[in-house]
Amino acid sequence: MNLPGLAVRNIYRNPVRLALTVAGVAVALLTFVTLRTAVMSWDEAKNYTLKDRLVTRHKITFVMDLPKNYADDVRDLKGADGKPLIRASTFLNWFGGKDPAHENDFFATIAADHNTFLTVYDEIKIPDDQLKAFNETRNGAVVGDLLATKFNWKVGDNITLESPIYGLRENGEPWTFKIVGLYSTTSKAVDRQTFYFRWDYMNDGVRAEAKDRVGWIASRSVDAAHAAEVTAAIDKRFDDADTQTLTQDEASFFQGFMGMVSSVLAIMSYLSYIILAILGLILANAISMSVRERTNEYASMKAIGFHAKTLASLILTESTLIALAGAIPGVILSYLIVDVALGDFLEYNLANFFPVFRVKIWTYAEAVAAATVIGLFAGIVPALTVARLNVVENLRRVA
Amino acid sequence: MSAEQSKSVGSAISIKGVVKEFTRGGQTLRVLNSLDLEVPEGSFEALMGPSGSGKSTLLNLIAGLDKPTSGEITVAGARLDRMSDAEITSWRAANVGIVFQSYNLLPVLTALENVELPLLLHKMTSAERKKRAQIALEIVGLSDRMGHYPRMLSGGQEQRVAIARAIVNDPKVIIGDEPTGDLDRNSADEILKLFEQLNRELGKTIIMVTHDPEAAERATVIRRLNKGVLA
Ligand SMILES: Nc1ncnc2c1ncn2[C@@H]1O[C@H](COP(=O)(O)OP(=O)(O)OP(=O)(O)O)[C@@H](O)[C@H]1O
Ligand SMILES: [Mg+2]
Repeated sequence: MNLPGLAVRNIYRNPVRLALTVAGVAVALLTFVTLRTAVMSWDEAKNYTLKDRLVTRHKITFVMDLPKNYADDVRDLKGADGKPLIRASTFLNWFGGKDPAHENDFFATIAADHNTFLTVYDEIKIPDDQLKAFNETRNGAVVGDLLATKFNWKVGDNITLESPIYGLRENGEPWTFKIVGLYSTTSKAVDRQTFYFRWDYMNDGVRAEAKDRVGWIASRSVDAAHAAEVTAAIDKRFDDADTQTLTQDEASFFQGFMGMVSSVLAIMSYLSYIILAILGLILANAISMSVRERTNEYASMKAIGFHAKTLASLILTESTLIALAGAIPGVILSYLIVDVALGDFLEYNLANFFPVFRVKIWTYAEAVAAATVIGLFAGIVPALTVARLNVVENLRRVA
Repeated sequence: MSAEQSKSVGSAISIKGVVKEFTRGGQTLRVLNSLDLEVPEGSFEALMGPSGSGKSTLLNLIAGLDKPTSGEITVAGARLDRMSDAEITSWRAANVGIVFQSYNLLPVLTALENVELPLLLHKMTSAERKKRAQIALEIVGLSDRMGHYPRMLSGGQEQRVAIARAIVNDPKVIIGDEPTGDLDRNSADEILKLFEQLNRELGKTIIMVTHDPEAAERATVIRRLNKGVLA
C-alpha cells in the first residue's frame, strides 16, 4: 500500500460516478478532437491547391459563360519579352447532369475539352486504352472510380442524364453517354466522383445561342512564381472586349472561398476550447463531490500526521488520474469515429473540402495533455480545501 | 539545570498555565482557565468531567491538533506552543497515537493497510511496513482479520484496528477521546484491557477521556475537569 495506491482505490470507490465522469471526459475529448481535426483539415486543404493552375471565368459571375475563342487567346498569351506565359489550357462547362435512376445523389457533371483536359489536370489518371477510347468516342465519358463503384457503373455502360440547364438535345433526343473509362487520381484534393464527358459532344447538342460558349477556362502558367502577373495579364487581354474576365490561381480562389468560411472555422476553434472548459467543470464537480464526502477521512489522516501538502497531492493525483482514465477511451473513440469512420467518409465524399481528414498525432497529444492539465486544475480547489481543513472542527462533527 | 526543567524530564506531558479561548460571533468563551497538568512517563490517566467542560479541548492541545491561547505545553519533550503547524504535524507522526470515539478508519483500506498508513510517513521498505503493521495487529488480537475491510469488522474490532494504527509508530504517548464511547460493555472491556496492557507491558503513557466510571477505574490516576481547571 502506498499513497498513489490509495488515490487509485478512492477513484474506484463510487463506480457509477467514475463511469459517468470517464464517459463525460471521453465524449468531451471526442468533440474536441473532431473540431480540431475539421479546422486543421480544412486549413490544410489549401496545400493541395496549385499555385500555377489558373481559372478564368466571367467577371460578373460564375453562372455566365465566355466565348470559346477566349480559350485560344489565353493559350496564346505572350509576355512582354515575347515568351509564352501559358503552357497548357483547357475549357469546361458545368452541365448540371442528373441520373434519373439516382435522383437524390449529387455528383458533378462537367463537359471538358478532351484534347487538352489532362494537360491542365494532370493529377487525373486514365489508362491509355480508355483514353484512346475517349478520344475516339464522341459521346464518351470518363467517371471517377468512386462514382462508378457507388452506382455500379462499368466501362461500356450507356447512361442517360438529364440537365436542367440544357434540357434535351437540340434534336429532341436525350443526353446519352457511353462510359469509356474510369479515372483515378494522384491528388487527395481531386474529387473522385465527377462525371467528365466530351465538350464537343455537348456543343453538338445545345441550342444555337449556347454553342461555342465555355463555362470557364483552366490553364497552367509557365512560371508558378509569377502567377499573379499572369492572371493580371489574362484579364487585361479582355479588358476592352465585350465580356471581361476574372482570373484567379487555384490557391487564391480556394483562399477566397476559405475567407467566407473562416468565421465558421473561428467558431469551431472557439468551441473546441469551450468543450475543454466543460470538461474541467465535469471533473471539478466529480472530484469535489468525492472529496467532500471524505472530509473526515482527510481530517483523520491529518491527525495521524499527514501534512497538508501530502493530502493535497493525493487529491491532485486522484483528479489527474480520473482525467487520464477518461482521456484514454476518449482517444480510442476519436480514432474510431473521427479517423476511421468520419475520415473515410469525408475523404471520399468531400475531397475538395477535406482532402485529408485524419486526426494528427499532435491532436491526440493535445487532447491527452489538455485533459491531464485540466484534471490537475480541477483538483486544485478541493486540494486547497483539504489542505486548510481544521482537524479539530471536522473530527468534532463526526464524534 | 533548573529545578523546573529537571521536573519535566520525568513528565510525558507537562502543561503550565494553559488558557484556551474560543471566539465565536464576537463572544469569547474561556474553556481552559490557566490549567496546569503533569503526567509522568508511563502513567495511565483517565480524564473525567461534565460534557462541555473542555476534555476534548485539552486532549487536542496535548495532541497538537490545536494551539493554546496562552501557556506552555510540553509533550514527549517538545514545546508544542512554540512549534509551527508543519513541525507539529511531523512531530505528531512520530510521538503521539490518537484513538477517537469514532474509529476513523479509511474504508478503502484493509485492517492491515489502515495500520500501515502512519508508517508511510517514515522511510522504510514496504516489507518492513507490513511486518510492523502485522505485529501491531497481533498486539490488539486481530491477526486473523488483517485482510478485512472496516465494513466487515465489528465496532470493537474497528476500534482495535484504530489502536493498532495508533501504536504502530511506537509513540510515547497515546491519547484516547472516549475510545469506548460507542462500544458495548464487553467490547469496551477488551479495549480497556488493551490499554492496560499497552501501559504495563510497553510502557506507553496513556491519557484517556471517558464518561464511564468503570472505564476510569482501569486507569492509575483519575482527574476531573471542571470549569476550566483540574480538580
Ligand atoms: N472549535 C470550537 N469553536 C467554538 N467553541 C468550541 C470549539 N471547540 C469546543 N468549543 C467549546 O468549548 C467547550 C468545551 O468543548 P469540549 O469539546 O472540549 O468539551 P468536552 O468536555 O469534550 O465535552 P463532551 O464530554 O461532550 O465531549 C464547549 O462549550 C464547546 O462548545
Ligand atoms: Mg469531548
